[in-house]
Amino acid sequence: MNLLEPFTIPYMQRALVEVLVLGALAGAVGVLVVLRRLAFVGDALTHTVFPGVVIAHLLGRSLLLGALAFGVLTAVLLTGLGSHRRVGDDAALAILLTSFFSLGVVLISRTRGFTADLTAFLFGRVLAVDRTDLLQTLAVAAVAAIVLALLHKELVLRAFDPEATAAMGYRTRALDLVLNLLIALVVVAAVEAVGTVLVIALIVVPAAAARLLADRVAAMTALACLFGATGGWLGLAVSYEVSVDHDIRLAAGATIVVVLVGLFLLAAALAPLRRRPGRVAGASG
Amino acid sequence: MSPLEAFGDGFARRALLEAVMVGGLCGAVGVHVLLRRLPFFTMALGHATFPGVVLAGLLGISLFAGAAAFGAVVVVVVALLGARERVDDTSAVGVTLSGAFALGVLLLSAQAGFSRDLTAYLVGSIVTVVPGDLVTTAVVGAAMLAVLAALHKELVLGAFDRGGLAALGYPVLALDVVLLLVIEATVVTSIPAVGTILAVALIVAPAATARLWTERLRATMALAATLGASSGVVGLAISLQWRVAAGATIVLVAATLFAVSLVVAPRHGLLARRPAYVAPGSASTSSRA
Repeated sequence: MNLLEPFTIPYMQRALVEVLVLGALAGAVGVLVVLRRLAFVGDALTHTVFPGVVIAHLLGRSLLLGALAFGVLTAVLLTGLGSHRRVGDDAALAILLTSFFSLGVVLISRTRGFTADLTAFLFGRVLAVDRTDLLQTLAVAAVAAIVLALLHKELVLRAFDPEATAAMGYRTRALDLVLNLLIALVVVAAVEAVGTVLVIALIVVPAAAARLLADRVAAMTALACLFGATGGWLGLAVSYEVSVDHDIRLAAGATIVVVLVGLFLLAAALAPLRRRPGRVAGASG
Repeated sequence: MSPLEAFGDGFARRALLEAVMVGGLCGAVGVHVLLRRLPFFTMALGHATFPGVVLAGLLGISLFAGAAAFGAVVVVVVALLGARERVDDTSAVGVTLSGAFALGVLLLSAQAGFSRDLTAYLVGSIVTVVPGDLVTTAVVGAAMLAVLAALHKELVLGAFDRGGLAALGYPVLALDVVLLLVIEATVVTSIPAVGTILAVALIVAPAATARLWTERLRATMALAATLGASSGVVGLAISLQWRVAAGATIVLVAATLFAVSLVVAPRHGLLARRPAYVAPGSASTSSRA
């Protein structure tokens, strides 16, 4: 099996660029998601942009703008929620997620081709990415990357020590909003091309794998970007080779997720081999 | 539109019965899900039973059996991953959720008729339930409610004070597993009729709404079951009247009830001025990460 050969075809090249960019970006944002234990927020955002996509589709506008509008709305709502004592963060999140998604389903169930549209939204069509899609993804990814680079130090501080962050004069609520918006941007950049299920995997799985292998945030981020991009490349190549050479159709997006989970399991197997000097000293002392 | 008129046909009557039973069961179980902060886990269970459903479909065995078997595997995997020092529970659930779901898609994508099956799984098709589904729902639902009633005291104590439960000599881990299996059975029973997204919504939303109206746990469970069943009836009537997706409409009704309660509930609503009494060490004081 040649892992580079499929990428001589133009549509495979575009798919490759798309997953490499998204894998690296989602990996970097994912580290913050994993450190803050926000996997559920990521999952929620992948579902709540759906009504935006449906409305844009029905109105004949850009799907990206529709997704962006609902992504931003969700990020704001999520930041505002969770302050209610009687309703837990997670309950509020679950209700928001399911009701937004249902709104999308109700709207789209009035149209023809209901099931095909829903499937495309959930699993994307990474092999059908065209030049415009690619440019849109690159633009959104660039904005997210710039914000992340500018505020990375503050966001990491907020993840580890919210009291100190507040004491130093940063507004933690604003930083939370920034992170939620960053997750929303990753989802929006990715959702049309690769589908919601793949987005949540790209965000959580590489970062969780990196966390098993690295102690420092910088190393974790580098590893997560590497895992995300590698998983995207390997998944595309495997899906193409198996589909073409062995005549078993494997959905490209789902293959990428399975490869990523494979990398995670590999990291989980390798993690105990690392020496942990701090721990040993603590035990002997 | 008279409410009974909408349910004239045989299929509509069956759908109504299914909606009432599933809504009631989910509402009651949901109170425990909220007490233990398990909504994300419930969501993951819904997605992660998917490969089981696909495999069962390929092998021609019962979809219930396939989903239940895979759900049990997921319970174990999440428990094992979460027990590792450097993988927190949320990430363990996230990895398991996306991995299992992708596995199901992969299995399904090798088949023909890909998208139709999947839509029914995700958003349900309650108007096509057959009498056999109704019997399954009734039997499983009655069994789960019986378990919850028999173990009510122990499960509630476990949610609020695990140390106390262990000190009293109860098997804490076994009780945890029993509750997770009850949640799993509820999700699996609901999925064929109402879909994975709706199952989560019906478990979380009525229970969260009920918690806004009453402090007492038994009253919360009764109210949540009533709200779940009512959301099913009203949502189904709206969906039959205007021909929109039934499952999603039921979710929107349940979510609307929650949103309204969040504003107007007498004690915990946003309009209530009086600060509510905070019991020391109560499960609802959140530990924010």
